[in-house]
Amino acid sequence: MGVVHGQEMVLNIGPQHPATHGVLRLQVKTDGEIISEITPYLGYLHRCFEKHCENVSYEQVIPFTDRCDYLASMSMNFGYVVAMEELMDIKVNDRVQHIRVIMAELQRIASHLLGLGAFGLDVGAFTPFLHMLRDRERILDIFEMTCGARLLYNYMWVGGLSHDLPTGFVEATFNFLDYFEPKVDEFVNLLVHNKIFVERTADIGIMPSDVAINYGVTGPNLRASGVKWDIRKDNTYSIYNRFDFNVPVGEGGKGTVGDCWDRFYVRVCEIRESIKIVRQALDQLPKTGDVHQSMPKKIRPPKGSIYRRTESPRGDLGYYIESDGTDTPYRLKMRSPAFTALSVIDEIGAGWLMSDVLVILGSLDIVLGEIDR
Amino acid sequence: MSEDKDKTVSEAVEKALQGDMDAINNIEDRITRSKAKAALVRAKRKQSASVDSNSSEKTESSDSSVEEKLNFSQTVFQRIIEKFPESAENDQNKDWIQLKPENWLDIANWLKSEETLYFDSLQCNTGVDLGDGILESRYNLHSMKHFHNIEIRIKVPVNKPDIPSVEQVWRIADWFERETYDMFGINFIGHRDLRRILLPEDWEGWPLRKDYEEQETYHGIVVPKVKEGWE
Repeated sequence: MGVVHGQEMVLNIGPQHPATHGVLRLQVKTDGEIISEITPYLGYLHRCFEKHCENVSYEQVIPFTDRCDYLASMSMNFGYVVAMEELMDIKVNDRVQHIRVIMAELQRIASHLLGLGAFGLDVGAFTPFLHMLRDRERILDIFEMTCGARLLYNYMWVGGLSHDLPTGFVEATFNFLDYFEPKVDEFVNLLVHNKIFVERTADIGIMPSDVAINYGVTGPNLRASGVKWDIRKDNTYSIYNRFDFNVPVGEGGKGTVGDCWDRFYVRVCEIRESIKIVRQALDQLPKTGDVHQSMPKKIRPPKGSIYRRTESPRGDLGYYIESDGTDTPYRLKMRSPAFTALSVIDEIGAGWLMSDVLVILGSLDIVLGEIDR
Repeated sequence: MSEDKDKTVSEAVEKALQGDMDAINNIEDRITRSKAKAALVRAKRKQSASVDSNSSEKTESSDSSVEEKLNFSQTVFQRIIEKFPESAENDQNKDWIQLKPENWLDIANWLKSEETLYFDSLQCNTGVDLGDGILESRYNLHSMKHFHNIEIRIKVPVNKPDIPSVEQVWRIADWFERETYDMFGINFIGHRDLRRILLPEDWEGWPLRKDYEEQETYHGIVVPKVKEGWE
């Protein structure tokens, strides 16, 4: 059967479109239903994060990091304070480290839940989305109990935390984990082995590992392509080396390594690993320790620069901080994992059907707040 | 009388250190109470200092990692010099590598293909305005195979900010360089699609340069200079 070439049509997806997960415009060239080229247009959510940072003091940067990736604010805080503490050579005590790890991993679960739910929504499965939002709500309740905020926490500070844990936190979190662990299997039954879901995602949007590395794709997207790379293991920070957890990689369970289904399943496995880490951290949580103990009175790092990466739910989150010895950063750059993940969309999305491109976009789990900054 | 007070203070602090804050809170005289609290903070700081000195082992290990990084960066620098003489700037012995812009594309290709270095991942590219009419582009390279990383810095004058593009070496440099161009106006020669990425295409000026001035009007709307309600 010969291929019929029709007239090429340029079509805009977005900026206001539920499938773009925010304000993003994809300009696609289509030949009938087949996409031949995708050009993303960004910047609709640009809030001058880096320019603002040059005009505020180091502690005032933290609320800005919250607002970059608004679905994983704890991880954003965490990355920044890890970079700052390394630059200033501050050691924080064990209790702070444990609390930070607990928060970051709970945040990873919450972020993955929303990412997976929205991905299901892109494919047309509405019910799992509601189930996942319901359970994410419980994590947000735990965060609200800890620091009063549900979405933008400003919880981790340089050298410490804004508050110590409230009474009853450990029990509440254990209760949540006991409730949540069986629920993961429920998602697996609802989506992972669902025939319709598998048909829509397996063998679609395959990202080979060399393409992923070349495009700077990191995090679950890179691991789904079969590369075992996790900052928590390979360039460890905080106290992640004390915990026992695995790094799940894509194995092509329903199709080829690096397809949309793999990217989905790696995130499901990561939720399980995060539960393991939270349980261990709660068990080992030291009873004593002042969360303000190593907080400097005035944050004034020495002259110099640092590039520090941490593992956010979306991948390698890097902060490049250039200090000139004053109270404000001379230059602060956030290397955003979603930014690099989106750049690969043309490479892996071209040649697929229109409906597949939205699935591929959903499988990358991007957050526009972090891309545009 | 004052000796008495000192005694109560020191007793209360001792009790508080053992976890009994009521000993301080129950002091009736307000001044003595605040003195006791100040003494408590001092005592706690002393304790934490001793805790820090206990963990000096950790500090040593981090020092050695810094040294290692320095050594590795020096080794890579020496190899670049051997391969591409006259491409490096003079003052070295830092934990980054300062290069001249001319040979950058060849060096980048070599860094990526050389088996023992194999920097296959460009982690981050950022511009910095160093002042005095100098811009700098910084590249953080990482090897997914050998798990090592280096930082490369290239200085250019602000009136002729030309750097060869490495977009075809690492594909992610496409967007990174567009962002650096967008914010600093560094001109990446050989980039196939050098447009603004985050700002609108008709934006004037380079916002992250230190001498950036806001536009007078934007699309016919006057940009307010006095920020009412700020601070």
